[in-house]
Amino acid sequence: MRERPLHFLALAFIALVLFQSVLGGTLFWRTIGFNPASILNHYHDKSIHGLLEVVAPHTLFITVALMATLHFLSFTPTVSEKIKRAAPYLLFTLLILDQGSVFMIASGFELFAYIKLASFILFEFSLGWVWILIFQKTLKELA
Amino acid sequence: MKFIASQKLSNNSSLRLVMLWMLIGLIAAMGLNLIAKSIDYGTSPQAWNSVILGNPDEFQEPMSFNDLLLTIHTDLFSLVLIYILIASLYLRTSRSSTFKIVFLGISLAGLILYPLMLLTAQWIGPIAVSVAGGSFILFHAVMLLGGSELMIALLRRRL
Repeated sequence: MRERPLHFLALAFIALVLFQSVLGGTLFWRTIGFNPASILNHYHDKSIHGLLEVVAPHTLFITVALMATLHFLSFTPTVSEKIKRAAPYLLFTLLILDQGSVFMIASGFELFAYIKLASFILFEFSLGWVWILIFQKTLKELA
Repeated sequence: MKFIASQKLSNNSSLRLVMLWMLIGLIAAMGLNLIAKSIDYGTSPQAWNSVILGNPDEFQEPMSFNDLLLTIHTDLFSLVLIYILIASLYLRTSRSSTFKIVFLGISLAGLILYPLMLLTAQWIGPIAVSVAGGSFILFHAVMLLGGSELMIALLRRRL
């Protein structure tokens, strides 16, 4: 009973980050599109300043969201230590690839349009997988 | 967050001070957020309606869906962080579990209804814009009250 508000907060946090991801995904789909050609077309003539205006707040928010998510994961006893250690490496590497790719695209490295798309999709699936690991424990305790 | 929620802050003066200044910063940010929104959208439901849905009498165009998405996406960056930080600290208070869940639930409802109503306003109509504005104020009011209660509790070493 004492832990119920904490479980509520964990679920609220996951719902909010999921909602924010859906909003961001919709915005990306409507303004850029989920294919390498349109990503290349959108980013290849952007200025560094223009890219920084988007990348800086995203890096900050996603880092805080990952910190909170991974810290919930670290308190989940049913998850192995191996997964708890691997998850931060996986998620932060994908985040760096996703956010950093736009600078490479703007510098003329077209391959990074594919890397951006792949790292974004892998990042979303990996984050979803981490949430499922946290949810399993939380939902069992709520029941 | 569980780290903040599981530490006895009254026994740790440096962490207590950090939390106190964090609350001052968050309360100031919420005040500035309310002022900024009142400048951008106005202070009445009619003014919000004119900005979001447009006003033919004043030749004002409605906000495009992409601009609305961008505004909401940007707003949520800060609002989610404010919610998580204040809520995680609020778990430390001596309030009952039911009260804490009601507190978290009301503020979460405000935080979710604000963007949802804005996004659906062009189909639902002016009532959705009014609900969005009300939800935005509700969220800030509950968070400001919660933040102030936490500050008092920290100053009295009750957290």
